[in-house]
Amino acid sequence: MFYYPVGSVLAEAVTDGGVTLAPIRGVLADDFYTGALADAIRSPASIPAGLAGWLLASASDIASALAGLVGTLVSPFETGLRSWPGAVLAGVGGVLGALAGVVPGFGLFGFTAWQALLSTVASLALGLPGAYVLARFEFPGRRTLESLTAVPFVLPSIMVAVGFVAAFGVNGPLNRALAALGLPTVELLFSLEIIIIAHAFYNAPLVTRIVAAAWESVDARAVETARSLGASPARAFRDVVVPQLLPAVATGALLTFIFTFMSFPIVLALGGLEYATVEVWLYNRVGQLDIQEAAVLAVLETVVSLGLTYAYLRYEAATSRGDRVSSPLDRDPLVRFDAKRVALAGYGVVVAGVFLLPIVSMLAASVTSPEGLTLRYYRFLLERGAEATSAQVSPTLAVRNSLLFGAGTLLLAVPMGVLLALASTREGRLARAVGVLSMAPFAVSGVVVGLGLLQTLVFGTTVLGHRIVVGGPLAIVAAHAVGAYPFVVRNVAPLLAGLDRRLVESARALGATRNRALLDIELPLVAPGIAAGAAFAFAISIGEFDSTVLLASASGSDTSLYTMPVAVERFLGKQTLGRPTAMGSVLLAVTAGAFIVIDRVGGRYRE
Amino acid sequence: MSSLSLSGVSKRYGDAVALSDVSLTVEDGEFFTLVGPSGCGKTTTLRTIAGFETPTEGTVAFGGEAMGTTPPEERSVGVVFQQYALFPHLSVGENIAYGLQFTDHPDPDARVGELLDLVGLDGFRDREPGELSGGQQQRVALARALAPEPDVLLLDEPMSALDARLRQRLRREVRAIQRDLGVTTVYVTHDQAEALAVSDRVAVFSDGKLEQVGTPQAVYRNPETRFVAEFVGENNVFEGEIRDGEFSIGDERVPVDAPDGPATVCLRPDSLSVGAGEYALTGTVTDAEFLGSSVRVALAWENRELTVQTETVPAVGDRLTVAFDHTDLVVVG
Repeated sequence: MFYYPVGSVLAEAVTDGGVTLAPIRGVLADDFYTGALADAIRSPASIPAGLAGWLLASASDIASALAGLVGTLVSPFETGLRSWPGAVLAGVGGVLGALAGVVPGFGLFGFTAWQALLSTVASLALGLPGAYVLARFEFPGRRTLESLTAVPFVLPSIMVAVGFVAAFGVNGPLNRALAALGLPTVELLFSLEIIIIAHAFYNAPLVTRIVAAAWESVDARAVETARSLGASPARAFRDVVVPQLLPAVATGALLTFIFTFMSFPIVLALGGLEYATVEVWLYNRVGQLDIQEAAVLAVLETVVSLGLTYAYLRYEAATSRGDRVSSPLDRDPLVRFDAKRVALAGYGVVVAGVFLLPIVSMLAASVTSPEGLTLRYYRFLLERGAEATSAQVSPTLAVRNSLLFGAGTLLLAVPMGVLLALASTREGRLARAVGVLSMAPFAVSGVVVGLGLLQTLVFGTTVLGHRIVVGGPLAIVAAHAVGAYPFVVRNVAPLLAGLDRRLVESARALGATRNRALLDIELPLVAPGIAAGAAFAFAISIGEFDSTVLLASASGSDTSLYTMPVAVERFLGKQTLGRPTAMGSVLLAVTAGAFIVIDRVGGRYRE
Repeated sequence: MSSLSLSGVSKRYGDAVALSDVSLTVEDGEFFTLVGPSGCGKTTTLRTIAGFETPTEGTVAFGGEAMGTTPPEERSVGVVFQQYALFPHLSVGENIAYGLQFTDHPDPDARVGELLDLVGLDGFRDREPGELSGGQQQRVALARALAPEPDVLLLDEPMSALDARLRQRLRREVRAIQRDLGVTTVYVTHDQAEALAVSDRVAVFSDGKLEQVGTPQAVYRNPETRFVAEFVGENNVFEGEIRDGEFSIGDERVPVDAPDGPATVCLRPDSLSVGAGEYALTGTVTDAEFLGSSVRVALAWENRELTVQTETVPAVGDRLTVAFDHTDLVVVG
């Protein structure tokens, strides 16, 4: 269900009558895809000279931009207090611009990696202070905040994109606030910056979560030992705490890079084709029915992301330590007045801006028209739902489709995930292989999966002499299940692995068969994990956009398979923000429902 | 009629040998203990008996019937583990009743009541395992294992997680219950004192091999290998040669009742004491531990250390002379 379609995409890339590498070489040596590297691939001998020239040229650009920024930073009075923040922003922009300018066009792949790298840096910058706050301070609502860091994972990315359009658009609250303060407004939409901020929205909480967990598992006694041996607090932090955090930081960075490398809806909605990544271009190629070029792109993208995922899994295996620490570091109260806490308050404002503003703006835009408060966009959703022609997007049908596909995904992904979790927790080499393979969908983008399903099941395939054509709905459910089951595995496998094997042995000594012990002992004990995995799977299905948009629009103008996220994207193309934000708000409500289930079930288990 | 027997049982994991050629027989109703340091193969032996492991070679037989690859659920065994392994999602009563559903017991409820009574936990039937103390959990585990009336009860270091006093009390209780029911029991422990205290017979393991099987007294008094001599109780072991019926210890030539040739002999610390005796050894005190009823003294003697026993605490650095009789000397093997 996963390997066959994806395999078929890979096969498509290397067949052209016979097996050949020509399509791949064609893409690699094309300026459009690999930019400066294309030269190198065509004539490897030119590399050293080109590299040296580039280094010289770029160093001076960056240096002057940095000097400008430093100048602005240290002289708030020279530029005038009122315009200082703007000047600083401009300076930061200048440095980013210089950085972006010096990156030689490495083409589509270069840009994709570049934006992933910038997104990773931004996610770390936004996420690490959060880890510090969560791990080192005590305040009311800390645990709630901690569990909220899981939210972005289940938020439909297209909805987040709509939220960003609503928040940072020309007439969005950010620009209105800037205008009210007499500051120049910023044009963020369809820029690299907005893509990177949106990626940070997704991945900074991931960084926060991973690093905070590592920080909480630092043993206070190790720090105390260092202090008793003569280390200052700062020195103890550097020598004892930092080495224990670095693996977590690296993990968070690597995952962020993988996710943003394959990012699709955010780039599509906030960047357009001007800022296309491999994934977006791949989608575009499929739309132009240029399947072979799409397949080649899919292969190259998958090679990169699989390689990174493999690196991640190796790294995780090498650094994971399961044991709970008996004495974690003490937490400080957060509410007090000193320089450190004022800085943290500033951080809080940034966090609110990045995380709350888009959501709130989206909700607000859905009930605001130029004339004031209104419910007409919601009314539109209902009316259009009642009378849409087959070529028009029917919102109610989209809601129904989303729920149906979500239910179908549950039926498929939960048993699959549980079985794989069971297989991966058995001992032996096979089990480890299953464990790694079951994570592979993380590393293969939704568009590639969609393309594979399109090419095999939907267009039809021949198995043992029978022609098999699977309908669109089933293909969509299959694609969702592929994206969802790793979450079931991830939720169930650790619980299964944590069970004392003697529980099963006791049951067997008492007369239960292996399967009976599974039913009586193991499954009841991992039930919370299964429930949480199911809720994740449902939420993933509801929000899935990448493969759905491919599969749902495969049949031309027929909109009968559109889900809520696809509907949001289609509405986004229109003039007004009202319709997409209203649709997005409905999507948010449904996703929030799923998330509440996750938190209830997961929360009970966490105790 | 032997209730349980192992013949030529070996267990290898790849190149690692966990058990090599172990043969032993456990009699009906016997309390049989497997003892040895960690990693010696005693737990592997128990797991092989239970059917959790399949021997690479050799056979395990219950009542003369070879088990082959018979799975645990089809062997009549009850197992109690060190960490209790109670089912956390079931109540105490449900834990004890779990095995009864696979038997044709006419009245499981009454049986659970009997067992709660047997282990002294009346009134705990509806409690959750998590609410119980370690000792109580261990009793529930015992009751659960006994409920289906297994032919063989297997206890894998069941007391090691408990504190010393509780361990001793529970040990006596388990032994009393076992005697009452007459259930054949195989007990695994690394504590040789515990093994000597409770067992009908003990099997001493080292490095995956069976060193000696016998009653506690036999194993203590007549160790068959140097390992057993040093592992069971404390001992001073001397390697040397018997010539003309005599064995040399220092300057003393002690008559022994064994044929001439290379030999290993040993002297218990309690037979090396201050006072009169046929032979004497003099050394320098390097350490003295006051144990209450006696003092364990480390004595530097002829480039080695001897452990001897005294009644008063000597000063470190003192010269001390201890005496023994030729009847105290035990020839190993």
